[in-house]
Amino acid sequence: MSYPQPRSAALQGVQGRLDFRAVTKRYGPTVALSEFTHSFVPGKVHALMGKNGSGKSTLVKLLAGVTEPTSGTISVNGEDRHFTSPHDAFAAGIVTVHQELSLVPELSVGENIFLGRLPHKRRAGFSVVDWAGLHRRAGELLADMGLAIDSRQPVSALSVGQQQVVEIVKAMSFNPSILLLDEPTSALASREVKQLFALIERLRARGVTMIYITHRMSELFEIADTCTVIRDGHYIGAVEMKETTPSAIVGMMFGDAARATRPPRRRLDRTKPVLEVRDLSRSGHFHNVSFDLYPGEILGIAGLLGAGRTELMRAIFGADRIDGGSVTFDGRVMTGASPRDMRKAGLGYTPENRKEVGLVQSLSTADNLCMASLGPISNRGFISRRREQPHVRRQIADLHIKCGDPELPVSSLSGGNQQKVVIGKWLNRQPSVMFFDEPSRGVDVQAKRQIFDIIWQQAADGLASLFVSTELEEVLEVADRILVMHHGAVVAEVDPTKTDLTELYGLCMEGARQ
Amino acid sequence: MTLVSQTTETGGQNTPLKFLKTYPMEIILAALVIFLIFVAPGFASTSNILNVLRTVSMLGIIAFGMTAVIISGEIDLSVGAGAALAGCIVAWFADRFTDVFGDWGAVTVGFGVALLLGFTLGYLTGRFRQWFNVPTFITTLALFAALRGVANLITGGFPMSSFPLGFDFLGGGYLFGIPFPVYIFALTFAGMHFLMKYTSFGREVYAVGGNMEAARLSGIDIWKVKALTLGLTGALTAVSGTLIASQIGAGTGTTATGMELDVIAAVIIGGTSLFGGKGRIWGTLIGVLFLGCISNGMTLMNVSEYWQYVVRGGIILGAVLLNQVLERVR
Repeated sequence: MSYPQPRSAALQGVQGRLDFRAVTKRYGPTVALSEFTHSFVPGKVHALMGKNGSGKSTLVKLLAGVTEPTSGTISVNGEDRHFTSPHDAFAAGIVTVHQELSLVPELSVGENIFLGRLPHKRRAGFSVVDWAGLHRRAGELLADMGLAIDSRQPVSALSVGQQQVVEIVKAMSFNPSILLLDEPTSALASREVKQLFALIERLRARGVTMIYITHRMSELFEIADTCTVIRDGHYIGAVEMKETTPSAIVGMMFGDAARATRPPRRRLDRTKPVLEVRDLSRSGHFHNVSFDLYPGEILGIAGLLGAGRTELMRAIFGADRIDGGSVTFDGRVMTGASPRDMRKAGLGYTPENRKEVGLVQSLSTADNLCMASLGPISNRGFISRRREQPHVRRQIADLHIKCGDPELPVSSLSGGNQQKVVIGKWLNRQPSVMFFDEPSRGVDVQAKRQIFDIIWQQAADGLASLFVSTELEEVLEVADRILVMHHGAVVAEVDPTKTDLTELYGLCMEGARQ
Repeated sequence: MTLVSQTTETGGQNTPLKFLKTYPMEIILAALVIFLIFVAPGFASTSNILNVLRTVSMLGIIAFGMTAVIISGEIDLSVGAGAALAGCIVAWFADRFTDVFGDWGAVTVGFGVALLLGFTLGYLTGRFRQWFNVPTFITTLALFAALRGVANLITGGFPMSSFPLGFDFLGGGYLFGIPFPVYIFALTFAGMHFLMKYTSFGREVYAVGGNMEAARLSGIDIWKVKALTLGLTGALTAVSGTLIASQIGAGTGTTATGMELDVIAAVIIGGTSLFGGKGRIWGTLIGVLFLGCISNGMTLMNVSEYWQYVVRGGIILGAVLLNQVLERVR
């Protein structure tokens, strides 16, 4: 497959102007985007905000040429365009960096950048890949973007943040006038975000129009020039970042939806811990981690991506090997137990990547909700929909899972609702300890609130939780106590009422108080 | 287990179309049967239909087990060879141990040994995957070759036919006018259907095949589930192999050649996904009936054996394509 190169910049009049006129997209009876009319001014970073299911992804798909509008026109640089394939979007100078990374890990950085259009040269009458030329050009591109990445390295050797940056370099190698960034920071730690933003600044200085989709409010004010809000498929408005506030944007996104606030912190009974971890180590991931977790407590774990938070949880849960230390659960030594043993002891774990390992996407919501508790639900191994009904209904009602028919595959649910299914799966076992790994990742603000409410509610009923989130403000809000991890070690324990975001960020970054 | 395709609440579609999308193979099977009644001479006669059912039974007993194996995300290529070996073991016991156990005693012990061996080999195939990360495709390919060799070693390369009087009833006899294997077939269907739909083990098979890691993190013993489905299929293979030996009146290492392909074809025609996680025992029933009818119909219509192979290949590909297309439409 070859990609057309957009016409050279000099030939085009106004660069990167993008107009939507009454663009509507229907999927059967559902209207995903309704009469969307807006002009994106060239050379700016336009944030696109809206909760899950608001029509953001539809807009991205239309621009990427993945789907076609039902009615209305999209024009690029004043010229009406009709995209029937991603190829057409490329030709119009629009390149999309999708949320999921699409690099081939085993191939080199350079080869990934030029994948599908490797430069060739003639040798002895044969057309062969010009590796030297490829790496020279890739190197130029990387240097041009101010990046110190060796183009001969395999992508798998890079951090997630560097991979995201390579993805953008690849997009920019098409020389687009419009760049779509779909949640580029969702998997990045704050240092990597900085690097990404530097790249975006650089592209803006060159006059590239960028449409930036994110769930993180704080980023908008740092990087965007304007913010366009859509809700339920409708254009709500566009504001200059200089003239607005986060609460104004949230107001536009949610209309009248109320914001829940944190319930008052309770005094905990710290006499007998339910989970005791001592000197736990797993080489290359974390070392000598010790802590106690008490009934009803929400213990937050803060740290940058790669600090060892997820690895620690997985090891305690028995999903990964442990190299040293001990885990005591309810007074019983459980070191080296399997997930099955830990489940039996009363521990539940909602993994960070719910789509890949939290749920079985091909099965229904009901099946997923019962998956961890087939034993208790069944009668000596025999099970039926009738026996499952109460367990399915209770979780759907208690957790406010919006799923229509629970017999439909769980893949049809939105991210937030899928996350609630993962949580419901474990609550059906009435665990005494839960590990929540990034429960708010990729879910909209409203679902996030509901998930936090669930965690607080369960804590009030005596459930002990470990809570991990990349968003430090969430850890500060949700947790009763916070452990800070840095390079695989616990470096500090802080009281969320006696610290602030700045201090917590500092601890996560530096590993020690300044 | 209620599958996606069965839930019929997607509004806005008219009923006939929905019916067509929900029961594609059932409709095609019905159309084939009607076609054969009119075109294939003697297809609709009672004796022919009973004959088809008898043939289908041997295949189906294994295919129901194979459905579970494929749903769990694995494969078993050794069932044809396994069936031959089981028949040979029973025949060998009948030949050598009549003095020790008596006529029927020797056969019964032989069957028990075949059953246990079938289960154990299947179970170990699953554990091999766990312990040494050897794909079941490879392990069962090895067994595919080795078991047939062992079968011939046992029998010395010749059919062994010293079965007790009346042993032929199991594979060739009739009970209340219906071939005896059909009862075993029906029993296996009911048992496997129940297992997959109404036991927590069945649910775990779907979960393991749908997403191994998610199942593991839900505390499911994924390797045990896989090993047990493979073991179960091994045991069912032994049952089928014994019935075949009874029907042909001998244990021989050359019987049931290519059976694994027919079994897998029936499962696939029945709509089970080779990627795991999706499939139904009911679909496999339709699949085996379809295969049975088509090969019987072609034989009755004097279609050459070579063409039959070509048609069978076309059907497998066509069924997979149909399922993929339907997946998209749904």
